[in-house]
Amino acid sequence: MVGERSAPLVLSRHVLMLGVVLMVLAPVYWMLMIGLKTESEFSQIPPTIWPQEFTLEWFEAVLGKRGFGEQIMNSVIIAVIATSIAITVGSLAAYGLSRFQLPWGLNYHILFFILTVRMFPQTVTVVPLFIFFTQVGLIDTHIGMGLVHSMLELPLAVWMMLGFFRDIPRDLEEAAMVDGDHWLGAFRKVIVPLVRPGLAATSILVLIASWNEFLFSLILTRTEAQTLPIAVANQVTQFDILYGRMMAASAISIIPVLIFTLLVQRNLIRGLTLGGVSGA
Amino acid sequence: MAGGTAVLNVLRRRRGDDLQAIAKTPWWEAHLKYFFIAPSLALLAVMAVFPAIMSWRMAFARVTFKLGELEIEPIGFANFTKVFSDNLIIGSTIRTGVWVLVVVSAEIVVGLIIAFLMSKLHSRARMVFTAALIIPLVLPPVSVGAGWLVMMDVNFGVLNYLLSLVGIEQQLWLADDRTALPSIMLIDIWQSSMFVFILMYAGILSLPQDPYEAAAIDGASPWQIFRDVTIPLLRPTFVVVLLLRTLDAARIADRMLVMTRGGPGSSTETVTLSIYKYAFTHFNFGYASALSVMFQVVLIILATFYIRRILQS
Repeated sequence: MVGERSAPLVLSRHVLMLGVVLMVLAPVYWMLMIGLKTESEFSQIPPTIWPQEFTLEWFEAVLGKRGFGEQIMNSVIIAVIATSIAITVGSLAAYGLSRFQLPWGLNYHILFFILTVRMFPQTVTVVPLFIFFTQVGLIDTHIGMGLVHSMLELPLAVWMMLGFFRDIPRDLEEAAMVDGDHWLGAFRKVIVPLVRPGLAATSILVLIASWNEFLFSLILTRTEAQTLPIAVANQVTQFDILYGRMMAASAISIIPVLIFTLLVQRNLIRGLTLGGVSGA
Repeated sequence: MAGGTAVLNVLRRRRGDDLQAIAKTPWWEAHLKYFFIAPSLALLAVMAVFPAIMSWRMAFARVTFKLGELEIEPIGFANFTKVFSDNLIIGSTIRTGVWVLVVVSAEIVVGLIIAFLMSKLHSRARMVFTAALIIPLVLPPVSVGAGWLVMMDVNFGVLNYLLSLVGIEQQLWLADDRTALPSIMLIDIWQSSMFVFILMYAGILSLPQDPYEAAAIDGASPWQIFRDVTIPLLRPTFVVVLLLRTLDAARIADRMLVMTRGGPGSSTETVTLSIYKYAFTHFNFGYASALSVMFQVVLIILATFYIRRILQS
């Protein structure tokens, strides 16, 4: 689609898109910079585009705050639990659905059902879960939150992995099995290596979704398993909003996501196309 | 997925060669296919279906939950009749409807324009620009909301400064009940347009080339090609985008919870936020459940409507 027109037109399109990209990224840049400016600098008019005087006081204040380190750890632990469960359970289902024909058109119905769950209002599940978790002692625990996040992201994991499994020609597995391999051997030797990039991309998406999730964490945690988004939100709703600290806390939650996104950019786009990160 | 599968084919082939091998297959391996999906179904049953059923039960009851003691006292349809005289929830419903309409249509326009422009660029530039554009999409909505809160500060926020450069007076943004919801809409459009862009872009890249060649031979203008070839061909993508974005936009609450908690007044209160407040600040679980299940019915009707259209095309 490129190249059929004159050079100035092609160039102007690229310049236009560069402008769009800069506009879209400007707020992210601005947010990250506020956390590095002193109070007098970020409240001055006209504002400075590049900090005149870098300061780490907000980051130190936030990281030094009691509980903040734990909140980061909670977010990491919960995201890892959620990802392990969603990926294991979801890939199994996706493999099963891509390779076996179930009776009564169940393949279709199960996929449809899984998609429906993604569309439940949050409140329809979170209110009973609050009661249930309180009664069985799962409230404010890592495993409880991990289970909730894995449930929320399971539809994404199944749909995404289904696409990756379907891309693998059946002949490959069949050949391995004709050569005398058990199905499990064929699975391990043929399938797993081929879907590794897909597994990585799906894992990253589930990790990010769990890391970002707010509403369920707000309701189902108190102190022990409180996650980073809650910590950021608490900075906002405090009686006196401290912009510097708030932006340092935000930056701490944003930076890991930025790094992960850039690492697996190519496969991530495919994942986003398939299901999107819920909550965004 | 139609027809036999690899594993089954091999098993069948073995049956021909060696019936003994089949006889030795343990029962669990014969029903292997069910073991693959069982864990997923179990997880969803415990964490989503069971809670949803409980919501339906509580919707018809007065629920008290104190010190871990749950009491569910059936009261028929009382929770449901209350809805129609509840001005707060009626307001939230209208507001959520407006939110969905504005936000989703704006995101489709913005996303489509960017996707179309992107498809006209050189491949190296496409990769770099696309990578940059997905960044807002993956960031935590809460942190992003906090950042915009600072940028929308009335006194020294950068947005008012930029407006002053072009001679527009100070805006109150989130502090005024007339501009609070549009302000949050702006943030949602900024973040979620990129989701629409990704889907539309993938859609445009997978379009067949023949209709374009035919249109070029007929001497159609770029605008005519866009309107009469690209848009109709993108129809299936449009429906998917509408489905995903409508259902996510309708359930919005986290942005408001962080930025305004529904205020000023109730000017940014949405359905999910109202239900959240009924459940967790008033502890009226019965009424909150009634609202939840009604909302669920509406979403299921919407989803079914869209999914039918997807299956048609």
